[in-house]
Amino acid sequence: MGSNIKIRFRIILYLLVMILIVLILRLYFLQIMSGELYAELASKNITREKTVAAPRGNIYDQNGKLIVGSVPVTAVAVEPHIVLKNEDVMKALSDCLDMSYKDIKEKLEKSDVSYIDRVILKKDIDAATMIYLKENSSNLPGVEVVDVYWRVYNFGVLASHLLGYTGEITEDMLKSEKYGDGYEGGDQVGLTGLEETYESVLKGKKGKIVYEVDPLGRPVNILEETSPTCGNDLYLTIDIDLQQFVEKILYQSILGVRQKKIKNTDECYNVPGGAVVVLNPQNGQILAMASYPTFNPELFVGGISQNDWDNLNDPENYYPLNNRAVMSFFPGSAIKIVTAYAGLAEDIISERGRLNCAGVWLGLGKDFPKSCWSSHGSLDIRGAIKNSCDIYFYQVGYGLYTKLDNMEELLQKYLRIFGFGSLTGIDLPHEDKGLVADKEWKKDYFKDQAGYSVWFPGDTVNMAIGQGDLLVTPLQMAQAFSILSNRGIQYTPYIAKEIRDIEGNLFVDNSREEYQDLKLNEYFIEIIEDGLVQVVGPGGTAATAFRNFPLDEIPVAAKTGTAEFYGRQDYAWFASYAPVGSPEYVVVVMLEEAGSGGSNAAPIVEKIYRYLFNID
Amino acid sequence: MIKRRRKKDFGDFESPDKEKRRIRFDFILFFLALAVSSFGVLMIYSATRETLPGGVTDPQYYLKRQAIWLAAGIVICVAVQFINYRKIQRYWWLIFIIGISFLAAVSLFGYEVHGSKSWIDLKFFTIQPSEFSKVFMVISLAAVMSKWKGEKVYQVTFKKVAISSTVALIFVILVLLEPDYGTALMYFIAYLGLLFLSGANFLYLLSILGLTAGGFFVALKAGLIKQYQLDRILVFLKPDVSSEGAGYNLYQSKLAIGSGDFLGKGLFLGKQTNLSYVPAHHTDFIFSVIGEELGFLGAVLVLLVFGVIVWRCFYIASNSSDSFGMLLSSGIGFIILSQVVINIGMTIGLMPIIGIPLPFLSSGGSSLISMFLGIGLVENVYIWKEVRKDYEIAYQEFK
Repeated sequence: MGSNIKIRFRIILYLLVMILIVLILRLYFLQIMSGELYAELASKNITREKTVAAPRGNIYDQNGKLIVGSVPVTAVAVEPHIVLKNEDVMKALSDCLDMSYKDIKEKLEKSDVSYIDRVILKKDIDAATMIYLKENSSNLPGVEVVDVYWRVYNFGVLASHLLGYTGEITEDMLKSEKYGDGYEGGDQVGLTGLEETYESVLKGKKGKIVYEVDPLGRPVNILEETSPTCGNDLYLTIDIDLQQFVEKILYQSILGVRQKKIKNTDECYNVPGGAVVVLNPQNGQILAMASYPTFNPELFVGGISQNDWDNLNDPENYYPLNNRAVMSFFPGSAIKIVTAYAGLAEDIISERGRLNCAGVWLGLGKDFPKSCWSSHGSLDIRGAIKNSCDIYFYQVGYGLYTKLDNMEELLQKYLRIFGFGSLTGIDLPHEDKGLVADKEWKKDYFKDQAGYSVWFPGDTVNMAIGQGDLLVTPLQMAQAFSILSNRGIQYTPYIAKEIRDIEGNLFVDNSREEYQDLKLNEYFIEIIEDGLVQVVGPGGTAATAFRNFPLDEIPVAAKTGTAEFYGRQDYAWFASYAPVGSPEYVVVVMLEEAGSGGSNAAPIVEKIYRYLFNID
Repeated sequence: MIKRRRKKDFGDFESPDKEKRRIRFDFILFFLALAVSSFGVLMIYSATRETLPGGVTDPQYYLKRQAIWLAAGIVICVAVQFINYRKIQRYWWLIFIIGISFLAAVSLFGYEVHGSKSWIDLKFFTIQPSEFSKVFMVISLAAVMSKWKGEKVYQVTFKKVAISSTVALIFVILVLLEPDYGTALMYFIAYLGLLFLSGANFLYLLSILGLTAGGFFVALKAGLIKQYQLDRILVFLKPDVSSEGAGYNLYQSKLAIGSGDFLGKGLFLGKQTNLSYVPAHHTDFIFSVIGEELGFLGAVLVLLVFGVIVWRCFYIASNSSDSFGMLLSSGIGFIILSQVVINIGMTIGLMPIIGIPLPFLSSGGSSLISMFLGIGLVENVYIWKEVRKDYEIAYQEFK
């Protein structure tokens, strides 16, 4: 062999050594230098994590009656990004779930977004389907049989506005800080009512399963398993039997009022809706809260259908999702308790001072005559309340305006003291704070119409009888009457009193002992109370409704209200508490477009008192 | 009997008078090949015992198959020793014809696996002719390029280069038709290596390289090679290789090997590979299993064993008694070397993903048996090195 060839063999030998060095260096880089990185990537590649739904906490009434519970339901969950790639799986699902291929595809395509890992395709599947899916799981990658929890409502539509409903979490919620942790796409969350307020209490803690999958996404091995923790239970101040009675009586009365014809016309009352609040003035506990029209929270279980949702939002149905007890309306004469107190406290009127009501009041000048709904003759403060004389209170309002030339806005000051214009702080979401108009508000509201932006004495005068720019919620009205009945002690109304864990151990005592003493003049309150008692007595504005009520046993203090609403029928109010002396209940009723409070709202309250005090 | 002076060139064989011949056999080469193949059987078992293809229920299915093929390989390796390799040189044209008809048969009767028509179904088993043809090509090339009858001094003439390159081109074109780019690349490297070791002028080497580059360019322009095919092949050049699409195999393989760290996850414990994340993990990607389960240590050990095997081939070549033996042995060395580099390079992102098996380790009978055939030929060159005399006699008689 020539030396040339020997040299070439040597070159090949060097080449071989170099190749080995290059390969070994590459292996060193991959395995030793980046080993940890690749190990992490590899474990991400292989392991999957899935959550196990936790049963949502139950909701009980004050006597421990179960109102809302959670039941496990077998459901089919799919991972859209896996299943969408596999037509066979979608076909198989279409066959066994009795859903069309197109529906499945559409639903999955809609859910194939970054924030949803799994989507519930069908709930409440039968045993045969479940067994079929489990047995064929290896051929159905991305498909899983899971337990989810459904809300069951033992009392159907009862208290639906209080309870609220649950629904699938939205993308915006997932991105928000509140729902940032522990939530994932497809989760059920409380969307309104107590379900929303107490979401963190009710939701429980999800379990977790960490497992390994093969490249097709089929689980092969479980690495770690944590079981879910049940949500805590909520015990309410609500008496569900009372709630049931209140809702029934509200519904029946509204139907009854709708039959009535408006005086001197052929028109009937519309009464699109109404609300009732029953609370305990001694502690602020809401005993019943009703709003009509109502809705069935069961519609939301497992996702509401578009048709149902459209119905709930159709103006023809008067928006049943709205909780009218925390929405604001013109209060009408019911607000006169505050005007009366303000008048007494600011020395505009005295206990004995009388005023002659001739049906017309010219306090604002001859060009602005203001009329009363009747001609009452000579009245003192008690009589003015009993008869709800507008002229008396116009005079009080005007006096409050002129006292300091409305510099201090005295009427507004007392309205705010009684809680109007701000949230009561009840544990319900979407509470309306109402409106107590003042100079600032008017200036801002009419900033583009200079002629209207000035505060006129007439504004205060109107407000004094509950018209004008004054909006209050039935709950605020109940709170104001509660303050009155308590001689100035204010409690924050609330609904959930206890949070207990699954075994019934008290977890959080939510009842609120603290109160605020508004330091009101008790004597002035007693004067007003005298008037309020006469409202239901002979000759009072609600005399008819209470003519058969044993007022001597259960003295009732109440005020009617008939709020005018431009372009609509009058709104009927009736706010009350009983028994006078040791008040146990505050009951407020508000009916939209139902005429006079004395004739149409008062009978509802009378029936509720009969129920509460066990009077036949 | 005609006594002839032994030529210095032809090594140190003992006196032909002696009846007894010392048994010469390169135990290092044979036992390393045997060891790495047995190790391969174990790794194939590790890779396949949990993930069985459809219809297979026996977890030892691949283990048993590979063991049987290994036995067959050993038998062939031993059987080859009974023929003097020099006799093969004379019948190279026969081997050449068998080799190309094997490949032609694939084009006619073969069936496709992964887009490549490289298998023939023989009812009882399937064979992959391109695996055997690589050995046949090496024999053909070695015969054409070695010292011809009547040539006084061994040298590589233009004629030899022309004929050998034609032979190589026929083989390369036939595998490109399947198409099997990996094997074609391997054939090409083996031919270049042989041309280099034959002592051919560098001008020839450069022209071959130039012509190949030109041919590739023309094929690309003519649309014989599609852009997407090229992209798929070149995906390894992108450092941030994606986990989807073309980069999937490479990504999964790098994850498997990378996560092996120094000592590996332990035999049978490779998750990436056992859960079939790495595709073809018992055939083309068997090195990923080794890297994952046995770590850097195991992978480097395998590389070193391959290094010694290749080195033995070249060592035997450089000590052979004639140019045919030298080229034959080198050819086998180049075949093993190029396959190791392409295959391992592919699993660690240094080479394009072109499916060729890892010699001795990948599951598959054709590959294993042809490799043992190659080892048998190298041993043959070693064993029959001294018995030139017999050959000379036979040659004379033949004349």
